[in-house]
Amino acid sequence: MNALTLDRALGSGRVQLVNIRRESLARARQRLLLVAAFFMFVAFVALVRLVFVGADAGAATGTPLAQALLPARGEITDRNGVPLARAFPAYSLWFNPDAMGEGQSPLVDTPVRVAARLHAIFPDLDEERLRAQLAAGRAGYLRRRILPEDANRVHDLGEIALETPREMDRHYPQGTLAAHVLGYVGADGHGRLGMEQVLDARLRDPARRATPVPLSIDMRVQGALEDELERGMKLVAAQGAAGIVLDVDTGEVLALASMPEFNPNRLDAVGAQLMFNRVTNQVYELGSTFKPLTIAAAIDAGVVRDFGARWDATPVRVGRFTINDSHPLGSTLNIPQMLMHSSNTVTARVADELGPARLRQTMIDLGMNQRPAIELPARGYPIWPGDNWPRLQNMTIGFGHGVAVTPLHLASAYAAMVNGGIWRPATMHKLAPGEVPQGRRVFKESTSSRMRQLLRMTSRFGTGRNADAPGYRVGGKTGSAEKPGAGGYQRSAIVSTFAAAFPMDRPRYVVIAMLDEPRGTVASSYQRTAAWNAAPIVGRLVPRIGPILGVRPDETRDVDISDLVPLVPEAQR
Amino acid sequence: MSMAGVNGRTPGARGDSRAASPADRLKAELRIWWREIDRPLLLLVLLLMGIGTVAVAAASPASARRLSTSDVALSDLHFFWQHLVWQTLGLGTLLLVSLLPRTSARRIAVLMAGVMSVCLLLVPLIGVEVNGAHRWLNFGIRFQPSEFLKPAFAVALAWVLSWRLRETDLPVIQATMAFTAVVIALLMMQPDLGSAVIFAGVCGVLLLLAGVPLARLGVLLAAGAGLLLAAYVFYDNARSRIDAFLGGGSAYDQVDLAWRTLLAGGWTGTGFWLGTRKLSLPEAHTDYIFSVIGEEFGLLICAMVVVLYLVIVLRALMRAFDADDLFTMLASTGLTAVLGGQAFINILVNLKLFPSKGMTLPLVSYGGSSTIAICLTVGLLLSISRRNPHLSRTTPGLARLFGLDSRVTTPPRRLAAVASIHRDADR
Repeated sequence: MNALTLDRALGSGRVQLVNIRRESLARARQRLLLVAAFFMFVAFVALVRLVFVGADAGAATGTPLAQALLPARGEITDRNGVPLARAFPAYSLWFNPDAMGEGQSPLVDTPVRVAARLHAIFPDLDEERLRAQLAAGRAGYLRRRILPEDANRVHDLGEIALETPREMDRHYPQGTLAAHVLGYVGADGHGRLGMEQVLDARLRDPARRATPVPLSIDMRVQGALEDELERGMKLVAAQGAAGIVLDVDTGEVLALASMPEFNPNRLDAVGAQLMFNRVTNQVYELGSTFKPLTIAAAIDAGVVRDFGARWDATPVRVGRFTINDSHPLGSTLNIPQMLMHSSNTVTARVADELGPARLRQTMIDLGMNQRPAIELPARGYPIWPGDNWPRLQNMTIGFGHGVAVTPLHLASAYAAMVNGGIWRPATMHKLAPGEVPQGRRVFKESTSSRMRQLLRMTSRFGTGRNADAPGYRVGGKTGSAEKPGAGGYQRSAIVSTFAAAFPMDRPRYVVIAMLDEPRGTVASSYQRTAAWNAAPIVGRLVPRIGPILGVRPDETRDVDISDLVPLVPEAQR
Repeated sequence: MSMAGVNGRTPGARGDSRAASPADRLKAELRIWWREIDRPLLLLVLLLMGIGTVAVAAASPASARRLSTSDVALSDLHFFWQHLVWQTLGLGTLLLVSLLPRTSARRIAVLMAGVMSVCLLLVPLIGVEVNGAHRWLNFGIRFQPSEFLKPAFAVALAWVLSWRLRETDLPVIQATMAFTAVVIALLMMQPDLGSAVIFAGVCGVLLLLAGVPLARLGVLLAAGAGLLLAAYVFYDNARSRIDAFLGGGSAYDQVDLAWRTLLAGGWTGTGFWLGTRKLSLPEAHTDYIFSVIGEEFGLLICAMVVVLYLVIVLRALMRAFDADDLFTMLASTGLTAVLGGQAFINILVNLKLFPSKGMTLPLVSYGGSSTIAICLTVGLLLSISRRNPHLSRTTPGLARLFGLDSRVTTPPRRLAAVASIHRDADR
């Protein structure tokens, strides 16, 4: 009413203008809201777009720091830091028909000439197929791996569509060396077979993969072992070979080889057949190499006290079975002679006197009834005769028949026998001084020191003479066992083993060399037994690895065998 | 209290201040300015300019390396230092213009509209070619008349349209449209499609507010679409840009490079000066600075920039909503449309939602005369939206405006509104 009076006072023309003004202001305000709504809508669209873009971008772009700075998979090295397996960016040759822009001809030159030039760089490529792929404009690999200098040559062709992206590869710089220890990496990026499988989580863990994992392997020892095994295998045309070098005090495996090897850098059908690990996965009846274990158990139990005592060496008759020696050794033998000549009959009588319970317990203490103690995933289960051993079986197990174990079982048992009597699990990891497991006592210290004498005598005067590398004080025992086949033992197929340790005055390393189905050749004087094929391998290997491992040859030092020498006529010649 | 406010602005009060010393007078003017200015808007604008300073510092190395020649090697921060100089000048312009009373601001803007229109006419005759477009004039200093015409155009159009309140039968709508058509035609000759879209948009918004029936605006919109189609058919620049937008373009055109730059940083960005994609981006410091922000500071900061622009636009429109005369409302909305239109078109281009326009991000991008022009726009907006805070007006709430609130409330301070009519009539 205040306004009304004013309006009236101002006259009708003014009133009309005021009305127009009020109306247009009200309408403008309404329309202003439309403008505001429009801007809000546009901003909303922009924000929604940003959210979608962000959801996309998070997945597609940006290199995580871990990926940029760390290897895709951790390195594996030997105990001295020599790389055994590493991540390696390799070039590949990729054809990208869209590189020149969509709808453009993918190649500058004609497919025929580009194919010819590529063929000139890579003579093993099929030029016809290459031409077809280039002409069809199909994206794809032209070649999976190319060398850097070849990548440069491809680049010099000036074809933008020929791309050479780098891809992370698992590279084994040592080639086939220690292939069974390392294993390989499958297409899914997970490790297979060897330590690649065991350490898979560790090698892929971003927090730890920058640090290489050292194995217990010493690459120089591994190389020597494989070299000698291969040579020995070829000399006697054996099917395969296995070898191991084990630290007797820590259980670290310094070398482990199963021959023939595969190449983890190039996996193919042939390689796949060779991936079986003879050292840890294949079980063998290892024959006479078991005899020292039986004797050690007998000494430990007090069954063998007098090394001058003569044991009956005539064939043993148990029921309808007869145990013979491979050749007649006389009517009686003492214990040192029995080991030197590898007498089955005396071992059977010692085992019989020891009894199955005590022999069995020693075998169990040595881990013979379980898979071998090592990290590798491929571990064979022994053929173990069960709880109740009949008398005959007890006798045959005494000389290594009727129980089948892996070469690694034997190596660990020998380590326990010579290191003072402590059994320790074998390991592929490099152990720091404080990490050595305590182990378990299997033999007395005194038994162990007796066994050093006996093994040394065997390799000096007995079947192991071919392994006696001068100055290295090798002590060891041969074993030649017929392989079981359909319908009993095969006379033609044998497994010959030499199990040794050196230096015998203070044993440091156990060395096992095993040949699968060796033949009699001129190199082995037409003999098939371990004395002629496996023992020489050890004899050549020890001088190669001894200096590397800190064992110097010394003719003036040896284990004291003066108390046993008078008992053995052969030693006095 | 309201009467006191009105009295505070009476000539008598001014006479008192005129009697004081010049320093005191300036002080009094500044105090009035500080009370009347839209302080939140000023703060938001300063914040955005701060973001612009950092963003240009981020983008400067990319552009400096790209534009360095064998003769002239630009230092990495060349554009950053230049930008600081221009921003200082711009800020001065902004504050100076915002100090003007509304009437003076209007007069200056209308005068400038006239001058710049003439300059725009001169561009085809004596224009300088830069990057293949005739947009520049060189009178000692080089500038784009269209940049300065934008704010002046909005104010002038608002002024012309507000004549209707006094002479209802003036053909202001037709005059406005004719003027706009001439300006757009001149811009198309340059060619400058982006600015043409802005002018058309500002004209459309002002006509909308001036009360042109929505149906007729729809016809205009259809005509605009037809014009765009014609541009596509007859106009090479537009065709190539629209083609590139629709067809995706080649893998190495600007939009695609900008897109990859935007994506490179993810949500949180690579970090300041750690971006690498920006180095392959042309116009990193101007047209595609939004993408550079995306790479180095992340998409979250991009979203913040979008929200900041929206808040500025809404703040300015709210202020216009409260205005009690048509000219203020129209001019404020027109200037807001110039600012917001450029900003959102640039952002949508960077987000691949709009064809590439060759338009900078106002207040953020590097620019010489364009920074001054944008600051002038904001200064005019601040000046025109100046309002005596003691003179609180009653504006109908939203519910009343849409007839949802049936309560009749008598506006308590009618007198104030009437008093302002008197002042309007005096002009």
